[in-house]
Amino acid sequence: MSVVELSDVVKRYRNGQELIEALKRVDFHAERGEMVTVIGPSGSGKSTMLNLVGLLDTPTEGTVRLDGQDVTDFSEDELTEERRSGIGFVFQAFHLLPMLTATENVELPSMWDTSRDRRDRAIDLLQRVGLGDRLDHTPNQLSGGQQQRVAIARALINEPDILLADEPTGNLDQDTGRTILDELTRLKEDENIAIVSVTHDEQLVDYSDRIVRLVDGVIEQ
Amino acid sequence: MSITELLWRFPSVQMAWRNLGRNRVRTALAMLGIVIGVVAIASLGIAGVAIQQQATANLGSLTDEVMISAGPDSPEDGITEEQVTDIRSVAGDATVVPEKTNHTTLETRDGREVFVGVTGLTQASAMYTVSEGENPDRLQSGALLSNSTAQQLDLELGDPVEYDGQLYRIRGFVESQGGFGRGGRELVLPVSALSEQEYYGSVTIITEDGDQAQEVANALEARFNEGDDEVLSVTSFAAARENVGSFMNTLNLALLGIGSISLVVASVAILNVMLMSTIERRGEIGVLRAVGIRRGEILRMILAEATFLGIIGGFGGALASVGVGLVIFQLVTNDPMLIFSWPSLRYLLLGFGFAVVASMLSGLYPAWKAANDPPVEALRG
Repeated sequence: MSVVELSDVVKRYRNGQELIEALKRVDFHAERGEMVTVIGPSGSGKSTMLNLVGLLDTPTEGTVRLDGQDVTDFSEDELTEERRSGIGFVFQAFHLLPMLTATENVELPSMWDTSRDRRDRAIDLLQRVGLGDRLDHTPNQLSGGQQQRVAIARALINEPDILLADEPTGNLDQDTGRTILDELTRLKEDENIAIVSVTHDEQLVDYSDRIVRLVDGVIEQ
Repeated sequence: MSITELLWRFPSVQMAWRNLGRNRVRTALAMLGIVIGVVAIASLGIAGVAIQQQATANLGSLTDEVMISAGPDSPEDGITEEQVTDIRSVAGDATVVPEKTNHTTLETRDGREVFVGVTGLTQASAMYTVSEGENPDRLQSGALLSNSTAQQLDLELGDPVEYDGQLYRIRGFVESQGGFGRGGRELVLPVSALSEQEYYGSVTIITEDGDQAQEVANALEARFNEGDDEVLSVTSFAAARENVGSFMNTLNLALLGIGSISLVVASVAILNVMLMSTIERRGEIGVLRAVGIRRGEILRMILAEATFLGIIGGFGGALASVGVGLVIFQLVTNDPMLIFSWPSLRYLLLGFGFAVVASMLSGLYPAWKAANDPPVEALRG
C-alpha cells in the first residue's frame, strides 16, 4: 500500500481576478524506501503538489490518502496531527529557528510533547548526519550544508513515514548538494521512509528511484 | 532543577522567552511603554493616598467630636444639668465636656484692653493644649489664657486676671489650634466662675474616632429629638469627614483614569510590537505549523511573549513607582516610609496587575492571527 497517494487531484486557486488551475487531474503515489523526484519548470505546479502531499493544503477535487486512509476532508487540527506524526519537511532555505541550538532545532517538532524526551534521539540523528560536534551551535554558526543537515535531522525526529524536500539542494553548491543527497539516500534505507523531493536540479535524477515530470499541472510519464 | 530545565517543561514559555531575546531593543522599548504606564497609574494613585492621608490628618481631632447646644424646641435657654447627666449616659465611655461661655474685656494696669471669650469648664486638658504652665485635668481654680492674648497684655504665669469681680491666677498658656480650633483670644475659667448662668451653653463629646462620633450623635438624636422637634442641636463633623472622603475618592478615580490612559497607550504599543513581530516571523510560524506544531501551541507561545512583556515591564514599573512614591510621600506628608503602607502598596499591585492583563489582551489578536494563518500562506512568507 502506498504511504501517500493522490488520486485524480485538481487544485484551483484564485489569484486576483484570475482563476488558476495549478494541478489538472494528477495521480501520484510514493512507497516506503523509495526516493521520488518531481521535476518541472517553475510554475508547473510542483510546489502545489508537494503542499498537498504534505497536508499543508487540501485539493479542490480528488482524494489524498495516507496509508490507504482518506484524509481529504480532515480538519486543520487533524491534518496538523498527521503532519506531526507522519511527515517530515526539508525546505530550500532550511528554515531553522535562529535562537535555538542545533539540538533544540531538531527537537522542535516534538518540543510540545512533554511526555516524551526526544533529546537522545535528536543527538543520535545529528551524529548520524555528521554533526555530533555541532550540537550546541546556533544556525548562524553553521554552514549552509550543515544547516540543511540539521533540517533533515529535524524532519526525522518524530519517525515519519514520508520526508518531503522542497529544492533541498537549491541553496547549496554542487559538492555540498551531493553530500546532502548521499545523506538522504542513506536515511531512506535506514529508516525505510518515502522521500518525495521537488526540484528543477537535474543532479537529483542520479539519486532518485523514480522521476515524475510535471508540466503545466499535468504529469508526463 | 535549574530554571532552564523548568522552562523546558513549558515549551511555549521557553520559546517566548527566546523570541523576546531576538530583538532586544524592540523588546526593551515595548517594556519601557509598560513601565511608564505603570508608573503613571501607581504614582497618581499614591499621590491620591498621600493627599487623602494629609487631609485627614489636617481635619484631625475635629472629626472625633460631637457638639451639642440647645435647639429651637428646647424649653430652656441652654442645656440643663439633667440633660448633661442623660448625655453622659448615652455617650458611655466618651469624654463629655459641658461648658458655659461669655466674654469680657481684660485690662492691663497701663490701660490696654483686649476683648476675649470666656469659657467655663472643668476638663481643661481634654480641650486645650498648653504651651507653658500646667494643664489640669479638672480645672477647679485659677485660669488658662491664650498665648497670643497673654503676649499682648504682657501677662506671665502666676499673674492675676479679673473676671466678674473675682481674681484668677494664670496657671497655663493655651495654644491656638488654628482653623476652627479653640484657644484663640480665650480665657478659660472653672465652671463655677460662670455660676450666674443657670444652664450650659454647649456640651462637647470627645470620642475615639469619627465612627464613634457619628454613633453617639445618632444616639443623642434618638434620645432627645422626637420627630421634627429639635430639643438639642447635635452636630458632628463625621459628616464633613465623609464629604472629604467622597471628594478624595472622586479625585483618586480621576487620577487613576488619567494614569490608565497611558497604560492603554502602552498596550496599543504592545499590540503593534506583537503584530509586527508575528508578521516578520510569518514564514517561521509557517514552518512551525508545517512540522506539526498545533494552533493552540502557537497561540500560547505568542500570548506568553506578550505576557512576559507585561510581567517584566509591570515589575520594573512597580519598582520605579516605589521611588516616585517615596518622593511624593516625602513632599506631601514628610514621611516617605508611608509608601509601604497597604493603601499605597495597593496601587503598586493594581498597576502591575493592570500591566499584565493589558499586555495579555494586546497579545490576543496577534496570537490568534498567527495561529490561524493557513500554513501554506505563512510558508510563502
